[in-house]
Amino acid sequence: MLASIPSATLHGVDGRPVAVEVHVSGGLPGFTVVGLPDAAVRESRDRVRAAMSSSGLAWPKHRITVNLAPSGTRKGGSGLDLPIAVGVLVAGGTLPGARVEGTACIGELGLDGSLRPVPGIVPMVAALGCRRVVVPVECAADARLVGGHEVRGVASLGELVGALTGKGPWADRVELPAERRVLPPMPDLADVRGQTVGRRALEVAAAGGHHLLLVGPPGSGKTMLATRLPGLLPPLRQQEALEVTRIHSAAGLALVGGALVERPPFRAPHHSATEVSLIGGGTAWLRPGEISLAHGGVLFLDELGEFPAVALDMLRQPLEEGVVRIRRARRAVDLPARFLLVGAMNPCPCGEGSTPGACRCTDAARARYARRLSAPLLDRFDLALSLGRPEVDDLLGGPRGESSGSVAERVRFARVVAATRGVRCNAEIPPESLDQFGPLSADAAALLERRLRAGALSARGLHRVRRVARTIGDLDGTGPVVGARQMAEALHLRDAGCARAPGASS
Amino acid sequence: MTTVGYLPDDERYAAAAAALGAGPVRTRRFLEGWEPAEAWAALVAGRHPADPDGAYRTKARPPLVDAVEARCARAGVAVHILGRPGYPASLAADHEAPGVLFSLGDPTAADQRPRAAVIGTRSATPYGLGVAAELGRGLAEAGVAVVSGLAPGIDSAAHAGAVAAAGAGPPVAVLGTALDAAVRLSDVQLQQAIADTGVVLSQRAPGSAGAPAWCFVVRNRLMAALAHVVVVVECHRTGGSLHTVKAAADRGVAVLAVPGSVRSSASAGCNALLVDGAAPVRDVQDVLAAVELAITGRPGIVAPRATAPTPAQGGPVPDTPGPAATRTLEALDQDPASLDTVVRRSGLPLSDVATALEELAAAGLAAGTGGWWRRNRA
Repeated sequence: MLASIPSATLHGVDGRPVAVEVHVSGGLPGFTVVGLPDAAVRESRDRVRAAMSSSGLAWPKHRITVNLAPSGTRKGGSGLDLPIAVGVLVAGGTLPGARVEGTACIGELGLDGSLRPVPGIVPMVAALGCRRVVVPVECAADARLVGGHEVRGVASLGELVGALTGKGPWADRVELPAERRVLPPMPDLADVRGQTVGRRALEVAAAGGHHLLLVGPPGSGKTMLATRLPGLLPPLRQQEALEVTRIHSAAGLALVGGALVERPPFRAPHHSATEVSLIGGGTAWLRPGEISLAHGGVLFLDELGEFPAVALDMLRQPLEEGVVRIRRARRAVDLPARFLLVGAMNPCPCGEGSTPGACRCTDAARARYARRLSAPLLDRFDLALSLGRPEVDDLLGGPRGESSGSVAERVRFARVVAATRGVRCNAEIPPESLDQFGPLSADAAALLERRLRAGALSARGLHRVRRVARTIGDLDGTGPVVGARQMAEALHLRDAGCARAPGASS
Repeated sequence: MTTVGYLPDDERYAAAAAALGAGPVRTRRFLEGWEPAEAWAALVAGRHPADPDGAYRTKARPPLVDAVEARCARAGVAVHILGRPGYPASLAADHEAPGVLFSLGDPTAADQRPRAAVIGTRSATPYGLGVAAELGRGLAEAGVAVVSGLAPGIDSAAHAGAVAAAGAGPPVAVLGTALDAAVRLSDVQLQQAIADTGVVLSQRAPGSAGAPAWCFVVRNRLMAALAHVVVVVECHRTGGSLHTVKAAADRGVAVLAVPGSVRSSASAGCNALLVDGAAPVRDVQDVLAAVELAITGRPGIVAPRATAPTPAQGGPVPDTPGPAATRTLEALDQDPASLDTVVRRSGLPLSDVATALEELAAAGLAAGTGGWWRRNRA
């Protein structure tokens, strides 16, 4: 007796269809799983057997062989428990084969026969071509996001067998009410007192997709500013939202209210993060890292100088290409990783180094601190800002700043203008198109020339400043030509020299 | 070894005794009342009374004598023994004068000169560096020897000013490290420039790697011993310059301090010194008056102070700045302010301030580093 149940496993952020073939034949009773299963799949033998017995289903007293096809690729995860159990029931004659025709199964079994949710349901369901998909009830809402399948959420193996044999109804749960989809409010820019320049930099970063570096002493509001950046970004468009939802599902993040991720994500890993946790990879299924989880949103690296230097330098290629290509001996995945990088750091170990004369660090300590960030990485920040502590007056009685809502409106407008240039945001304008999209006025060109001659600007920096000036022009609605005012502002928004030239105290 | 014969025998053995790494007091006791060769022989044999437990016997190996001489020869260093001719007279009378002193340049250059120590912190503000260079230059032009420690920051700025003046006052540098320990090109160049017209001194033998913290305390004490007055330009509340101040107070040497902003931590030590009774320094005339008083015991006759030109009168302003530039300039002062502060003080939008700062920088009226801006002196 033979049965084949369609299912899927995760590979990076994609699902891979897997056919679970079960063969029951004469011979000594036994149970083997072949087809390169990993530890979690091998353990499913014992879970499946216990779940069936708890559900009152007979275990065939024959030789059972399970093959996971295609058998050449390694399979991981506990989502194959359910298809194995259903396959054993069909091959053992408990379930008629016609009843499961065109039905795919994904889910982990508990020893009591209950069905447990698994990560990555969205990409796995998307990879399935069949008519009907059975998933754990907690995953049903996520699975419906894919569209195109008849999604059945079930709570236990017994319930599924009842529904398939016609002895019971499909116990479809009532759709979740709309209020569960209300997202928690985001921090508002109006809470930031003072920090005129910091707020402006945030607005420019959001409008142009420019990477932002904040340098300042402890308590200068670096984190406060950074957490308000996602609130300025426009919501994700349909295509992006689907992509981000797949990534978050693959990483096992809870999708709020079972809805598409429409709000730009904000990821702030601690600086003890390992390389793999940042970039992605690992043994199980090449899990997406923090940079992929921040896809479409903001990756905030607080205490940038404390991250392992190797991990930071690994960011360079994804920053350029918007995708991280992970290669292992047996497997290869491309994970999307287009994010807005916000770095925050102290100017030196004592934290006071940006105020001239206030630093108490030794030269050696400053040099050591500066060496943690490679010049190529620093070069990728379009905006670099030196923040001071806010004035006491601002903190206690200052007026509330402009709210996120009105800034986001300007950002949205600037992004619409940028879209007419065929790019998602101005940070993506190729260097050769800068003259076309952002021609310089004579004053602006003279300003740039002075900086270049003074050696204060590199060739790569030149392009970045021009893109930032273009964004400032879009925000202020000053027309196609980039003038001296926009250029001066762009130059001043990347002026935090302490990080670039440590030890230059004069 | 071809360098044998570079030093007379006495200096060879004295230099070797100083190279054992003992403190200045013990080094002095190694040599006091001994012929250097005998003292060395006693140290090698482990029977010197100043080394009762034989702690220096393991270091006192005969090859050390040649090695130190070779180091001295390579760096062109001269050796001076306390109480013998050639030892700087300005230091010989001090009760803590080191037994052996190493020098580059003319060790007696400053003996007949008034001497003022100009010292301060390594992490100085542009204000402090500017004042230090100005004092160094002014003192040298007035014929005063500028004594300092050649550390980065205030010390180097004062010496650079003195060297640039090429005046009658020879610069005197006292190092905590050995004379051949400078690594950075700028340090080597400044040290060479000082040795050309003045002298660089150290109590640490050439070839001694690094310098423990006490070497800098000794260095600070030597500066206080050498100088007629000590001027602290910028100093943190717990700065190393306070060692020099304490040593100066022990010797009755007048201490002067340059006042600074009460908000600048780099001036906290100076302002505290002023509270404690140090004389304030406004310009080089104040220092010259104090030097005069220290040497003659009478207040010096100082030329009447010229009224300083205010920036507004300070010559024609090139390219008369526009209203935004004028307001931005008013928002700047000589203490560096962050861009955010300038924007807030001026009340102008960021793009106006950015444009104005570029104009002012081009006209030489303002200067900025790392996002911090200040007004240039008119």
